[in-house]
Amino acid sequence: MPTSALAATNLTKVIGDRTIVDDVSFELRAGEVFGFLGPNGAGKTTTIRMLVGLIRPTRGSIAICGFDIRREFEKAMACVGCIVENPDLYRFMTGRENLEHFARMTGTANGEITRVAELVNMAHRLDQRVGTYSLGMRQRLGIAQAMLGRPRVLILDEPANGLDPAGIREIRELLRTLAEEQGLAVFISSHLLAEVELTCDRVAIIHKGRILREGTVNELISSQRTLELRVGDPDRAAAILADRGIEFTRDDHGFLLPLDESDAPPIIAAMTSNNIEVFHAARRAHTLEEMFIEATGGETVG
Amino acid sequence: MISLIQNETIKILRRRRFMIVVGILFVIMTLVSYSQYRQLRESRNENWRAELQERIARYENRLRRGRMNESWSRSMKAEVRRMQFYLDRDINPEQPTAPLVVRSFANAAGFLLLPLLIGVLGSDIVSAENAEGTDKLLLTRPVRRWKILTSKLITLWMFATLTLLAGAILSYVVSAPVLPARGWDAPMFNGFQFTGETLKVDAVRELPLWKDALIAYGLEWYALLAVAAIALLLSVLFKSSAASIGTMLASLIGGTILTRISPDWTAGKYLFVSALPLAEYYSGQAPPYDGMSMGFCIALLGIWALAAITAAYTIFTRRDVFG
Ligand SMILES: Nc1ncnc2c1ncn2[C@@H]1O[C@H](COP(=O)(O)OP(=O)(O)O)[C@@H](O)[C@H]1O
Ligand SMILES: [Mg+2]
Repeated sequence: MPTSALAATNLTKVIGDRTIVDDVSFELRAGEVFGFLGPNGAGKTTTIRMLVGLIRPTRGSIAICGFDIRREFEKAMACVGCIVENPDLYRFMTGRENLEHFARMTGTANGEITRVAELVNMAHRLDQRVGTYSLGMRQRLGIAQAMLGRPRVLILDEPANGLDPAGIREIRELLRTLAEEQGLAVFISSHLLAEVELTCDRVAIIHKGRILREGTVNELISSQRTLELRVGDPDRAAAILADRGIEFTRDDHGFLLPLDESDAPPIIAAMTSNNIEVFHAARRAHTLEEMFIEATGGETVG
Repeated sequence: MISLIQNETIKILRRRRFMIVVGILFVIMTLVSYSQYRQLRESRNENWRAELQERIARYENRLRRGRMNESWSRSMKAEVRRMQFYLDRDINPEQPTAPLVVRSFANAAGFLLLPLLIGVLGSDIVSAENAEGTDKLLLTRPVRRWKILTSKLITLWMFATLTLLAGAILSYVVSAPVLPARGWDAPMFNGFQFTGETLKVDAVRELPLWKDALIAYGLEWYALLAVAAIALLLSVLFKSSAASIGTMLASLIGGTILTRISPDWTAGKYLFVSALPLAEYYSGQAPPYDGMSMGFCIALLGIWALAAITAAYTIFTRRDVFG
């Protein structure tokens, strides 16, 4: 079995008497985009800080490209490019000077700078001071910086922050290309379900420092689908649903059924054959919040 | 390591700190040489040769008559030699020269100005990265933390050296056009020792000015390296540039005031600021506390610097880096 690109085992971080990250384990393979999904304060950034050696885990270990980051820090870090929290670069220097600065630290040739700048579409702004950049431009320069030295693993903390919809899409396509064509393992954190759904192959959902769910995007999305149903005579409809052994919850407008779209036609048929009008039957995508309420047993997010 | 030092150097230069330091030195040196120039104008005494000859004759007379203690006669002989030197070379000893300005810069600036400038330059070399969030990138590259801190320390030491050199060169450049520019070999007398109230002159040495200046600058350089080491520790301890620079300035200025106003508090001799004006002490200025020999001062600064560096490395290489 090939070594995984990034493996975190039983990561725990305790600060004072608070457990901020609690026994988190996951693994990334080359060529996949992994999403770390959770609301603000879930522990995403803290986990990333541990992954890149900024803070020391209370328990647990991390290996990047097979190198333990404590024992073989330099080898491990040579395999990874990252943005932690915000894409903070030296504002008093130009984009090019920033890239040169970090290229010198990795022993990367200066020719690489043009390549990574073109990758994120920043070549034309490279000679301006970073202080004059918008957040989106800094985000892109940060990704360019992370790509210096041809890393095998890319770790990005909320890469969509500060980008406009077009920019988000551009970055999403870039990340997909890097994973699919160059075989990079990409780790992104996000608090936006839609972003993760569109960008990632696999997702872990983190809440209060714990991973609640982990799986492919498709598994998670389908396990989380809800069918909304609105009918003319709710009381009789409820009896019919109960007859068919379907679990349901009622809300102001009708029913929420833990079913997929493909389950809708027989239910609609049953309703109409009993002369119950069906006004609306549609799949409702879950918001992250609902998923959380469900996963955490009714606790609200944030 | 070379490329790390190159990085740190570029950052200091791009922050324009060093240019500000050089600018401050330039302004101060211009003021100093202007005041010396005024003194030169006022001391245009056409009679100085005759007066000098007369003074030499008077001293020699007293020496011939004897009846004075050994140390007095030694210091008078030294003074005669000094006056004779000026007379032989046709230089007015009362008249300031550019080499003398350069020499006195070591004393004057070493006392507070240069430590302050190095303090400002150095105290945020780590804390600025922390405040700007760039430490997250700096410390996640494949370079161990001790190497990063070493590159920062070496860069600070380089800039401390450069600042001192810039001060020396500037003091010559701004004074040479308005003051006599020669006299590098004028005799200087050093090694006066104070024991209580009496001045001991047994160890007085006569050195040409250039040699004397080299020693004074060498001592000052050593003191500045120690200041840079302490600045490094403060920049590791604090998260914001303002806090680390503020603490550095407060301890330099506060410490200096303390040592000057309360000579009874003898523990003050262990403060690093007490030992900072090495060049002044070398020139005969009495240290604020008893028992502060040159050897004591050098050892004290060395211990402070070593302790600061050890603490800085221990903290920097182990700590958790939060936002
Ligand atoms: N240095 C720290 N000391 C104590 N608590 C912290 C520290 N940094 C973060 N936290 C807490 O840890 C939790 C997780 O924070 P973080 O990892 O930044 O979350 P996320 O990135 O998912 O929004 C938050 O509740 C935050 O208040
Ligand atoms: Mg975060």
